Amino acid sequence: MLTDILITTLINASVYAMLATGFSLIFGVARIINLAHTAFYMLAGYFIFSFTTVLGLGLLPAMLLSIALVVVIAVLSYRILIDPMREHEAAVLIITVALAMVFQELMLVFYGGHFRSVPQLVSGYVTVLGVRVSSQYVVTIGALVAILAAVWLVLMKTRLGLAIRATAQDREIANVMGMDVSLISTVTMAIASAQAAAAGALVAPLFILEPRMWLYPLTIVLAIVVLGGIGSLKGSIIASAIIALSETLVTFLLPSGAFLKGAFSLGVMIVVLLIRPEGLFGVSFEGER
Amino acid sequence: MNPRRLYRRFASEVLVLPGRTTVLAVCLVLLILPLFHRHPYTLRVLSLTFIFAIFAASWDLLSGFVGQLSLGHAIFFGVAAYTSALLNLQAGLPPLVTIPAGALVAVLMGLVVGIPCLRLKGQYLSLATMGFPIILTGLVYLFSDLTGGELGVSGLARLGPTRLSEYYIALVLVLGLGLIMWKITDSKVGLVFHAIREDEITARASGINTPLYKLLAFCLSGFFAGISGGLYSHFMRVAGPSTLSVLTSFQPVIWTIFGGVASIYGAIAGTFVLYPLMEFLRVAPELRTLIFAALVVLVLRFMPEGLTPWFIDRVESECPRCKEHNAVTRRTCRVCGAPLGRPSAPGAGPFQPGKGGRVAG
Amino acid sequence: MVTPPEASNLLEVRGLTVCYDTAMLLNNVSLSVGRGELVGLVGPNGAGKTTLLRTVAGLVRWEKQSKQGTRAGNITIAGEVRFDGERIDSLPPHVIARRGLVLCPERRRPFTELTVADNLMAGAYLQKDRRALRETLDMVHQMFPVLKQRARQISGTLSGGEQQMLAIGRALMTRPRLLCVDEPSTGLSPLVKKELFAKISEINRRGITVLLVEQDTALTLSVCARSYVLSHSRIVASGARQDLLADQTVHRSYLGLQSP
Ligand SMILES: Nc1ncnc2c1ncn2[C@@H]1O[C@H](COP(=O)(O)OP(=O)(O)OP(=O)(O)O)[C@@H](O)[C@H]1O
Ligand SMILES: [Mg+2]
Repeated sequence: MLTDILITTLINASVYAMLATGFSLIFGVARIINLAHTAFYMLAGYFIFSFTTVLGLGLLPAMLLSIALVVVIAVLSYRILIDPMREHEAAVLIITVALAMVFQELMLVFYGGHFRSVPQLVSGYVTVLGVRVSSQYVVTIGALVAILAAVWLVLMKTRLGLAIRATAQDREIANVMGMDVSLISTVTMAIASAQAAAAGALVAPLFILEPRMWLYPLTIVLAIVVLGGIGSLKGSIIASAIIALSETLVTFLLPSGAFLKGAFSLGVMIVVLLIRPEGLFGVSFEGER
Repeated sequence: MNPRRLYRRFASEVLVLPGRTTVLAVCLVLLILPLFHRHPYTLRVLSLTFIFAIFAASWDLLSGFVGQLSLGHAIFFGVAAYTSALLNLQAGLPPLVTIPAGALVAVLMGLVVGIPCLRLKGQYLSLATMGFPIILTGLVYLFSDLTGGELGVSGLARLGPTRLSEYYIALVLVLGLGLIMWKITDSKVGLVFHAIREDEITARASGINTPLYKLLAFCLSGFFAGISGGLYSHFMRVAGPSTLSVLTSFQPVIWTIFGGVASIYGAIAGTFVLYPLMEFLRVAPELRTLIFAALVVLVLRFMPEGLTPWFIDRVESECPRCKEHNAVTRRTCRVCGAPLGRPSAPGAGPFQPGKGGRVAG
Repeated sequence: MVTPPEASNLLEVRGLTVCYDTAMLLNNVSLSVGRGELVGLVGPNGAGKTTLLRTVAGLVRWEKQSKQGTRAGNITIAGEVRFDGERIDSLPPHVIARRGLVLCPERRRPFTELTVADNLMAGAYLQKDRRALRETLDMVHQMFPVLKQRARQISGTLSGGEQQMLAIGRALMTRPRLLCVDEPSTGLSPLVKKELFAKISEINRRGITVLLVEQDTALTLSVCARSYVLSHSRIVASGARQDLLADQTVHRSYLGLQSP
């Protein structure tokens, strides 16, 4: 059971971390609360489903193709619907919710409300530290962690990453320093949506697909972002671990009360906020604009 | 006051402005509508529209005016719905008692949500508030003996004896409460709310006890949302977990932003347009939400400030001197007599170079 | 009356007019900065100096575009800005920066949550040549040794003066041809201020043209070969230090200096 708890926590934590860091990135750089973020995660799952079952592609090409498709959709919606509205914060909020609803309803129309599932990428078991674990879990966790690490490296070590971080701090000055902020925002949107899509693609074989599957992760991602401090990647990752652990503990220790996992995680968030209003890793400077 | 003076006053306050005249006309039409058309389905849809308009306006009070953008407004709606339902079923109290009682519990909930949120700013607050209704949903399932779990509490007393009476109860309440909320935002308290939204630190520095006012906003907003929640549960005769769902939280946000924020009437107008539209779209049940969401996206894309500001922009113009509004047909301001007409920016015309004093070379 | 832009001037502003809604912030402003010059721009608070620099750097047009459709986006811009002989008034800020015109903004505005080193590297965003980047960094470090000592400090926690040096250092990292500095001395102690002005002269001697906006008129006039006086959105006077000081009206009404 301990290994089960550990594995579930790891999977959930890395999925949440992927979603939350992407959400945080796009929030920081483009200054939008993108409530459609987890809808990209849902879309990726469905695309894989259609590519594998309808087109008969292999799982790996289907995953890559669906991530690419989600990125295209995300970038187009950003350029056409969201970016021109940046100055109307409230309108952007609603547009992103409505977009998520549009995606959800499209999936309902095309696939119906039934639960769908996707074949596993690898089969069999491996032994990790003397415990037999499904290979699919190991591959999923490995891939998620690798992608997170790659995003981290891009942000911290490359010129593009520096431009993204600088734009998140001050768009105007970044622009004066020669950075094309609208291009950088678009690239950030692409990275963030690719992260969400990759998370969706990687867990699609483990979870059940359902058009409303974006809603619950959305609330949890918002909680994680608040908990970790908006704009702090490290905070998002640690908060993901905290929330995933509390969720898993509730599910395993209180099997009849699994419906409480969301409530419990959000309760944890509120308690932390009462103690540290700026989140675990948020920073605030006096007199900042 | 003699009737002629009264009429003149009315004409000079209401009839001069197309926006106000429209509001008046809509109210009148809604008041007399049942004389001509009393299909139960229409009455039902409109009554629900009125109930939700109160909900949307209460969101506007908190989020539009005070800037505490709440994404978890369902908590007030749901807690009041459940309270009214339980009081009605378990204690046998009539709606006249249970609805205000539900609203009071929602006020308490305003404190429960407001106190942790006092320390949060802007976006953090929006994201954090989303969690509260979900926590409460967890509790609803936990105590499913009392709350009925998934199915909710059903078999409540009706709001009124007939559909028609329910229609008028809801209509009178939306007009009355809407007016009260509008008056609140127009009062000194409303000014403080504005100040908090624009710049909380400065407001605080000018000696305003901003935490107190923010809590007040949470409680007031909770009160009105609570009334609509209670009305809803008695109207539907059931209170279920859907009253606490994320979608219930998003609805007033969508309606209000669609109608135009920070005006109360915008929230009500948005609901009046969108809720019946959503019902009408039942003709295509499969595509209902899809069409609805796509419409909202498209409309907002072209009217980013929402419906009412867009409409008012078409029919009224602002006097450049005294900032009073005028019908767009007028040539001079009705208050100060200044000439109206599209203000042309001084920089737009051609400039003679060399007139700017001593131009350096 | 319109004279052809002199090819020798690096920056040439002609008849620039900027209105925010109904307020005119710049009224038919013309000015020029020659290659290698150190030109001052002084004037009372609210004269429009910052607006002038922001317009030249393309930020006002950018603001107008990004706020289009809102009330704050009702901005009118007329007139022309030439940099190195070419019109730049319709270019976005990052392209203007690429041409070599960089703004060191009012109130410093470092990227607060990034380290000092990252701030400098952000300035060097356009620099693709690693060797040249190294050289510029060395030059900036040599000019402001503090930036080297505090390389790993989060820039939001620097003192005001250090932040100012960082802002100038960051602007220098772009290897500008024209550096527009907006009020670099705000909040600096008199001694540091003198040092800073010496640094700015030094930057100018290294071949970078500088347009300096300042409140401290006496100091500005003393370091700049030529200055403009902006008041109530217009250029009211211009010329060398002696000429400006000789003019009694300018002296009394705009510069607020003691008569010599
Ligand atoms: N976005 C804006 N909308 C309306 N008015 C503005 C805006 N920005 C600046 N102003 C006004 O334009 C005038 C000129 O401002 P500007 O910042 O250019 O002055 P300045 O010369 O830099 O003054 P200071 O020396 O105090 O920095 C001021 O009166 C200011 O209030
Ligand atoms: Mg200035």
